[in-house]
Amino acid sequence: MSVAAALIVPSVTHAAGIAEDLREKISIRDLDFYYGDNRALKSISVSLYQGKVTAFIGPSGCGKSTLLRVLNRMYDLYPNQRATGNVRLDNEDILSPSQDLNLLRAKIGMVFQKPTPFPMTIFENIAFGIRLYERLPKSELEDRVRFALERAALWDEVKNKLGANGLSLSGGQQQRLCIARTVAVQPEVILFDEPCSALDPISTAKIEELIDELKDHYTIAIVTHNMQQAARVSDFTAFMYLGELVEFGETTRIFTTPSDRRTQDYITGRFG
Amino acid sequence: MTDHTMKAFDTDLQDLARMVAEMGGLAEKQVADSVDALAKRDTTLAQRITAADANIDALQGEIEEKAVLTIARRQPMAVDLREVVGALRLANDLERIGDLAKNIAKRVMALNGEFPPPKLIRGVEHMTDLVLQQLKLVLDAYGRRDVSKAMTVWRGDEEIDAVCTSVFRELLTYMMEDPRNITFCIHLMFCAKNIERMGDHATNIAETVHYIIEGRPIADPRPKGDTTTIAALRTAGDR
Amino acid sequence: MNSQINTPLYASRRRRNVITMGLAFAATAFGLAWLVLILAVLLWEGFSGLSLAVFTEMTPPPGSAGGLLNPIMGSLVMTIIAVLLGTPLGILAGTYMAEYGRYDKLTMVVRFINDILLSAPSIVVGLFVYEIMVAQMGHFSGWAGAVSLAVIVVPVVVRTTEDMLTLLPDTLREAAASIGLPRSLMIQKVAYRAARAGMVTGVLLAVARISGETAPLLFTSLNNQFWSLNLNAPVASLPVVIFQFALSPYKDWQRLAWTGALIITLAVLTLSIVARVLAAQRKSS
Repeated sequence: MSVAAALIVPSVTHAAGIAEDLREKISIRDLDFYYGDNRALKSISVSLYQGKVTAFIGPSGCGKSTLLRVLNRMYDLYPNQRATGNVRLDNEDILSPSQDLNLLRAKIGMVFQKPTPFPMTIFENIAFGIRLYERLPKSELEDRVRFALERAALWDEVKNKLGANGLSLSGGQQQRLCIARTVAVQPEVILFDEPCSALDPISTAKIEELIDELKDHYTIAIVTHNMQQAARVSDFTAFMYLGELVEFGETTRIFTTPSDRRTQDYITGRFG
Repeated sequence: MTDHTMKAFDTDLQDLARMVAEMGGLAEKQVADSVDALAKRDTTLAQRITAADANIDALQGEIEEKAVLTIARRQPMAVDLREVVGALRLANDLERIGDLAKNIAKRVMALNGEFPPPKLIRGVEHMTDLVLQQLKLVLDAYGRRDVSKAMTVWRGDEEIDAVCTSVFRELLTYMMEDPRNITFCIHLMFCAKNIERMGDHATNIAETVHYIIEGRPIADPRPKGDTTTIAALRTAGDR
Repeated sequence: MNSQINTPLYASRRRRNVITMGLAFAATAFGLAWLVLILAVLLWEGFSGLSLAVFTEMTPPPGSAGGLLNPIMGSLVMTIIAVLLGTPLGILAGTYMAEYGRYDKLTMVVRFINDILLSAPSIVVGLFVYEIMVAQMGHFSGWAGAVSLAVIVVPVVVRTTEDMLTLLPDTLREAAASIGLPRSLMIQKVAYRAARAGMVTGVLLAVARISGETAPLLFTSLNNQFWSLNLNAPVASLPVVIFQFALSPYKDWQRLAWTGALIITLAVLTLSIVARVLAAQRKSS
């Protein structure tokens, strides 16, 4: 099945009777990515829709994390990595050299696999990002911090120890702290790069629930190697293999009647 | 299709399919035997059939348990999930077919002592042959995952319905001919209805097989040829 | 399972294990013994001379009583200036190498040269500073002494700063970048804070190193018998005074030399312990 056809598919694969207008938040067309001379992403074209969770699944090395890191230009931190193609956030070219990277990264936040709170207090971790962009009086800052922690479902657990070091929290709490930190700078898109792979099942469930709540306010993309998580959490799923986008469509369709044989083999555990 | 990385998963699915095939074989035998007992008025056979229905019920229980365990342990997706769900539906339909055969056998025992002419039963025997053909074909379609065979079965139900209608008319004439036939013919009518229902269950199985293979239900509406409900009786009664 | 163990093989392995462990212990004991010996001799010889006078009186002419006040002061002042000069330079260079230019060719060259400088003979450093400062100025000075010590401080600080910053996981940097933090702010507020303990340890190590350097001071600050805070002139320093007093034939001078050596050793020991405690504290918090 050609990828171009796969792009048109979302409107066709809706269950009968559901009328929804989807707004494209991030559009990716013909994206190529190179590590040196090695072409890691091959002509990827996919859309991330506003207010929806899009999951990227695929075997190790298929390029899903690479794709995610193109969206907030994280690869710019390293030499010998470059991206070509057309990637737009609300019609603004992300890949253009004149793009202000810091503003872009404030709009497109990222949560990583290993929770990395800053070596500061819990309050400082969140206030830090806010202070970058706004000069707020103390009470307003405190409100913003509280708001971010509530959004990350962490407020009740830390409200009495905002002065404690961020690293003193448990793994699941640290990850939620990182989510709060991202939310505090008021992004439009949040990227999750295997956010639960270092966490226990209960923390994982809490974060999945959190993602479900967050999608009301942000557009979300999540990379996961746990297929069941993708099935639980996402509205759209993209299956990638060896740097190519094999299939993209509504999650319910991909996991019940995938079109491509490779997708079916992967999700039923027949790969390799 | 390639094997699962976890071989135990393949084994689970194969066991499920095997149990369904076994149940299908038992159901076929029950159907054939029940009409045989009806023709020969063989009450011993009828009792055996009634007892053997317990085996079919037991198998359905096993299949349900196995299916639930497979879902819990393997979290099947896509075609695997459809296989498991399909096995559950098939077990259900086959169990109903078994019950219908048992019902026919019970009528044989109720008819004990009556010896009406053999011509009365010919229509029902013809229907049974058709239904047995359908059943065999659909179980074959399931075993080989052959969607065209399933579709043949699905379309073939129309014929069975038509034969049922004609059997009803025929039995009406026999009843009007000779009142002594009435008891037997009424039992035969119930048996004919049962067999027609068996045909419907075979069609259900065909729809399930299509769903397992294609991932979506059959798009067309089911062709129906069964006019036994009102129109035929009215016409016969007018004569 | 036990029946499968080849008993002679196993026994020979055990024997070898015992022998090797024995050799390891013996080597450790040998090394430690010398250390203990040195400390013991230092304490023995130097302790008797330790008194309040050592810290309050100037170096005496031979035959009279006195103390080590001016060399202690001189060493302290020159060390502090050396650290003030060398640390910022070292930290900034280390930061460049770890953050901005991590994959540059320039960084590789600088790292190579830095490693050579780390183990450069300090007498060469002294000679160099003599040539560029003392010869130009026409006289020995405390400034020259401080500069020569600074030249020894810089490579140490560069090395530890670069190492500590490189040890930080990239995910920390990416996490900072992901909320839109510009690189310079990320380094100041996140990287430095996270690597703080290690970098401070580096500075303390540098101080410990220069506390005992004698050769460069011989060429630059020379020595001064009297109390002087004029850095434009020769300044007394502990290592040089020890050198002078120890080689002299006067008993009280020799005793003062031992005391001076003890003071330096204790100071370096204290610094090292403080550095270790700091590092441990950071790890546990």
